[in-house]
Amino acid sequence: MTKIDLDELLYKVEKPARYIGNELNSVKKDLNQVDIRFGFAFPDVYEVGMSHLGMHILYNLLNNQNEIYCERIFSPWADMEGLLKEKEMPLFTLETHSPIHELDFIGFTLQYELSYSNILNILALGNIPLRSNERGMEDPIIIAGGPCAYNPEPIADIVDIFVLGEAEEVILELLDKYKLWKHSGRNKKDFYHSIAGIKGVYIPSFYRVEYHENGTLDAFVPLSDNAPNKISKRIIKNLDDVYFPEKVIVPFIDVVHNRAMVEIFRGCTRGCRFCQAGMIYRPVRERSVDKVKDLAHEIINNTGYEELSLSSLSTSDYSGLNDLIRHLIDKYGEQKVGLSLPSLRLDSFTLQLIEEIQKIRKTGLTFAPEAGTQRLRDVINKGVTEEDLIQAMENAFSLGWNNVKLYFMIGLPTETYEDLDGIVDLAHKVVETYYKVPKEKRNKGLNVTISTSSFVPKPFTPFQWEAQDSIETLREKQIYLKGKLRHKNIKYSYHHTETSFLEGVFARGDRKLGEVLIKAWENGCKFDGWHDFFKYDQWMKAFEDCNIDPHFYASRKRSYEEMLPWEHIEIGITKQYLKKENERAQEAVLTHDCRTSCTGCGINQGFIGGVC
Amino acid sequence: MSKLRVKFVKNDLMKFISHLDLLRLMERALRRADIKLSFSQGFNPHPKISFATAVPIGLSSEGEYMDVELDEELKPDSFVDRVNRQLPEGIKIISAKNIEAKTPALMAIVDASSYIVSCPLENDTTQNTIEVAIKDFMDLEEIIIHKVSKKNGRNVTKEIDIKGFIYKMELLEHSGRSIIFKLMLATGSKGNLKPEVLIEKFIHDMEVPIILDQVRVHRLELYTLVGDTLITPLEING
Repeated sequence: MTKIDLDELLYKVEKPARYIGNELNSVKKDLNQVDIRFGFAFPDVYEVGMSHLGMHILYNLLNNQNEIYCERIFSPWADMEGLLKEKEMPLFTLETHSPIHELDFIGFTLQYELSYSNILNILALGNIPLRSNERGMEDPIIIAGGPCAYNPEPIADIVDIFVLGEAEEVILELLDKYKLWKHSGRNKKDFYHSIAGIKGVYIPSFYRVEYHENGTLDAFVPLSDNAPNKISKRIIKNLDDVYFPEKVIVPFIDVVHNRAMVEIFRGCTRGCRFCQAGMIYRPVRERSVDKVKDLAHEIINNTGYEELSLSSLSTSDYSGLNDLIRHLIDKYGEQKVGLSLPSLRLDSFTLQLIEEIQKIRKTGLTFAPEAGTQRLRDVINKGVTEEDLIQAMENAFSLGWNNVKLYFMIGLPTETYEDLDGIVDLAHKVVETYYKVPKEKRNKGLNVTISTSSFVPKPFTPFQWEAQDSIETLREKQIYLKGKLRHKNIKYSYHHTETSFLEGVFARGDRKLGEVLIKAWENGCKFDGWHDFFKYDQWMKAFEDCNIDPHFYASRKRSYEEMLPWEHIEIGITKQYLKKENERAQEAVLTHDCRTSCTGCGINQGFIGGVC
Repeated sequence: MSKLRVKFVKNDLMKFISHLDLLRLMERALRRADIKLSFSQGFNPHPKISFATAVPIGLSSEGEYMDVELDEELKPDSFVDRVNRQLPEGIKIISAKNIEAKTPALMAIVDASSYIVSCPLENDTTQNTIEVAIKDFMDLEEIIIHKVSKKNGRNVTKEIDIKGFIYKMELLEHSGRSIIFKLMLATGSKGNLKPEVLIEKFIHDMEVPIILDQVRVHRLELYTLVGDTLITPLEING
């Protein structure tokens, strides 16, 4: 093995600690004692990648196996990339500073579509051919998972193996097969055949895609007997039994989420119709309060973190929340270990809890009504009312908060300017509510931040057939809101519309987009999620050069009959259910939370068996 | 309630972490060591840890100091032992002692630093040439540098005579293509001179072929001036 001499480079980059590794709880192993070298690659900069809980889980899970060594790979920032190219040095792992092409596997986590160009950049900087069919025996196997893997097609020509669903079990099964194969002297294809039957494994090269003349999909044809017609996601049945790391890496530098994290449950029962996470992570599985308490204890002791975050898609829905929070405050309050609870619903019960939490450390208050009118909130099945919001705000202001953030989406199906006016009205009502609270009770200086993101239709949601608003339409809506939200207490922020459009194209794209991606990367595209790097013109040029119309993927309303690029993937939610939900959306009919009674999404019918 | 003055080293890869990174790292190490810290009041409580200087990225050091306030009485030896077990490779506490609560803050008392500075040369230069250059440099009446700072959004250039900030400059080692200096320079609020700034000026005035962007600086010790003598922060009675 070769080790890269970094020292000289580190003096020349802005944040050298991004590349040094050696953090507390990072794993050191003797390379002569391991059989499989796995690189966990997060296709973004260190500070973003290190904030991702899934990386910490898989890193430790793999390193718990004696014969496997999992190292980390991140996108180098532009300064480091420039130096690597200048010195003709390959991209390296953080743990041993080895060139990444020496690894057996490189596993990418696909958290957002706009990171795809960074995948190519990592491969290229590691001197690894971009296309699966260009890589040989000497090259690492490229594997990928994460939420974007549910529509793997846009990068199906780049990735060798996709893992669908929760990876904790399937990754070890796969690596067991690899161990057998590695010393067999047989070719890579034999390895792929040996794993093709494992549930959750998708090998794109085992399938051929056929298209109609109009560009839509005609057929998805398995090319091998052991390639299943449909590929089902993996589910971990019991969260108390599944591995969760107690010793997580503590970064030296300030990362986006610089805190201890314990996952309290997976899945969500609310059924918001725009939300992909709410569909693909079903069914809901809670970790027991006792288990969470134990994990919190170990993680706080092993890291020294001053803040603990309880992560889930909808924290308020955790059945043991009250018990858990009181326990954590009692136990760690004195040591000033703060708590953060993302994704809260602001009912009166939750506010009391937050008030307790604030006694340790003060945080801001965030609320996500998502849409401005009751009609549109009913369309998206976000079951909150204006009364809820105003009530919560009144309580919050009386308790001393003066900094609140409200999140909305624009471009939702059926949206009109009335709905935008609804956002404006709500913002002003929040301001009025503040001034109605007696002066002696409220804190001085109100800040209301209104933030809008642009809706992107995602696979496996009831809106997967819908057209996305065009760049121009979204921009007009933003300008409209900007004009109406001029107020000394209100700050309006919004997303760039071009990036939302590109996200929309790749979210529902097919295999033909692989070539566009490579072209765009050749044109210099990378870090597309970072506005300073995003090159919209180069992207459009890439589409043109490949003779592909991006609007075909983002701006077109699809029929129920059309074969969708992700039709061969099964997440356990039936197409019938998504269709029904889409129709209820058009009529603005709410569907209740399926904790109260089953709404028939399909996840418990044959997919996992029993109840969810 | 007690207050400890702590001396530590920051070496190897740890020279690449920033001052704020170091602060976080220390807080978390102290937490893991189960040391009972004193916290500031307010919405966002901070542990009462204060450093002598903000160590710039890239500087390695075997003479850094911090004061830590505790909510318990703890023997310095036990503190050193417990915290060292929690510190990463490259950062290590060398010694600690109890100080009185009213002892002046480190930041206020630091006056000077000693450094070892290694400088690669572009071409072979004799020891004599370097020694003459140092002597001529130190014999200058004044050594003026131009410092650019922002005032009301505009760049303002200020002339500073750094001669008074150079207490000692000597050649420690010489070998054809590289030299090592030992320096004693002013550090702190009353006057501050970074070794790199001095070397840049030295290159400019004396035309010594030092490759500036490959200069590496290592701090040996921090000092405070008591009367005419320099003593280390741990030697102060308090």
